[in-house]
Amino acid sequence: MARRRAERIDDVTLKIPRPLYERLRQVIEGTGFHSVTEFCVYVLRDLAASQTPTPDHDRLTTEEVAAIRGRLRALGYLED
Amino acid sequence: MTKVMILGLDCAEPSLVLERWRHELPVLSGLMDKGAHGRLTSVIPPITVPAWSCMMSSRTPGDLGVYGFRNRSDHSYDGLFIANSTAIREPRLWDLATRAGKPSIVLGVPGTYPPRPLNGVMVSCFLTPSTESQFTFPPILKREVEEVVGEYLFDVRDFRTDDKDYLLRQVYEMTDRRFRLAEHLLETKPWELFAMVEMGPDRMYHGFWKLMDPEHRKHEPDNPFQSAILDYHKHLDRLMGRLLAHADEKTAVLVVSDHGGKRMDGGIRVNEWLRREGLLATLRDPEEAVPLREAGIDWSRTVAWGEGGYYSRIFLNVAGREPEGIVSPEDYERVRGGLAERLAAIPDENGDPLDTRVYLPEQVYEQANGVPPDLIVHFGDLYWRSVGTVGGREGVHTFENDTGPDDANHAQEGLFVLVAPGVHPGPREGARLLDVAPTVLELMGLDVPASMRGTSLLSAGVA
Repeated sequence: MARRRAERIDDVTLKIPRPLYERLRQVIEGTGFHSVTEFCVYVLRDLAASQTPTPDHDRLTTEEVAAIRGRLRALGYLED
Repeated sequence: MTKVMILGLDCAEPSLVLERWRHELPVLSGLMDKGAHGRLTSVIPPITVPAWSCMMSSRTPGDLGVYGFRNRSDHSYDGLFIANSTAIREPRLWDLATRAGKPSIVLGVPGTYPPRPLNGVMVSCFLTPSTESQFTFPPILKREVEEVVGEYLFDVRDFRTDDKDYLLRQVYEMTDRRFRLAEHLLETKPWELFAMVEMGPDRMYHGFWKLMDPEHRKHEPDNPFQSAILDYHKHLDRLMGRLLAHADEKTAVLVVSDHGGKRMDGGIRVNEWLRREGLLATLRDPEEAVPLREAGIDWSRTVAWGEGGYYSRIFLNVAGREPEGIVSPEDYERVRGGLAERLAAIPDENGDPLDTRVYLPEQVYEQANGVPPDLIVHFGDLYWRSVGTVGGREGVHTFENDTGPDDANHAQEGLFVLVAPGVHPGPREGARLLDVAPTVLELMGLDVPASMRGTSLLSAGVA
């Protein structure tokens, strides 16, 4: 088996649950991030700076859909 | 390797902004003196969603499988979805910048709610449900937005109001807060790509066009709002000037609109027309005009139905495709072709021809993903809108619209002004909305993906 690229001496390994890893893989799909690791480093740096947890929002609730439909109706794009 | 600042003005009309009012807009006029400028042919349909996503990805509505705000998710009769950022599967400019390690600021670009991760910051678009929603990336940015502008306004709160003073105040307040936030982001965040879209021009045209344009059927002479749209553009011009302070000589500046605007002459009640032609059967014959679904549809006797909006989408009820389809697949092309001809021949209320354009998806898109409409109709070259209601006393033509403002419709051509190192000033022809993303990538020194439909205006010699 080919030896993996040596890790930089200042890097450490973080372990995260596999379901979370899979979720993050989906989150970055189609974006410019090459890997979950790259994305995690970016997000964690930001969080560390702000000390605020990141809420998970990806799906629209019924209320959100209703709000958007209402706006599109008012703008004349939807009629029902 | 150039930084690029994109200032998007939803609906900004070239005949007004680049021509009639050019010399009343000193900032834009100054950019025109220094840069290439002209009309920018939009996609079909020329509608905010999907047009901005098409511009930012250089992919057609067919590629994206997004044909408007609301799309069929399958061939059932009620499987519909409203397109948001998760529907856009193709990389947009900031995704490509992220891949190259370049930071972006993305503000209010339609098709960005819910916001997706990027290298940089994003504040989502006018289809964000409310400020309760998570509308920024990274999420912590939301608090900063509120600190800078208070409540951020994604759109005008109450567009249906007849109180034009109130509408005007709302548009100005929305625009001012967005530009204040834009200045803050430019001052505090690193960027190599800045992309911002202001919805104000679109809202102003839809709400005030008849008060400006003596050719509008409902124009009211001597009204106090005759210069409201021009005044708004002057205001916008001043605000743009403040953002340009953040663009040095090496920064490319691109002012663009996703489509233009034009007066609206009236509406064609497309489902009422289909009903009268015997192509659509309703379960009830309502005394008042109601949305088609409220009247109930007898699918066993329905050949086709349509969607209302600024343009029309027509769907055929095809056997084996729709649940209760009656048009046999063998007859599909004949029926569709005949319907296209009849739609194109609908005259105006006096019997004079309308310059209606009927498009087949396979003729305007190289590929048509998702569930495309069977026909796309621009009534009266977009001087007329499509109205989906049935019943009531009105005939096929309507001049009253209780479902939305009816002052203006969209025009096929938007505008662009490009100031960049090496770009010679002067008017240009032949630029397309799909050319924007490749142009920006070339300016930034990034590779243009082969899948993009457009061509860099620089490489093509247009700019």
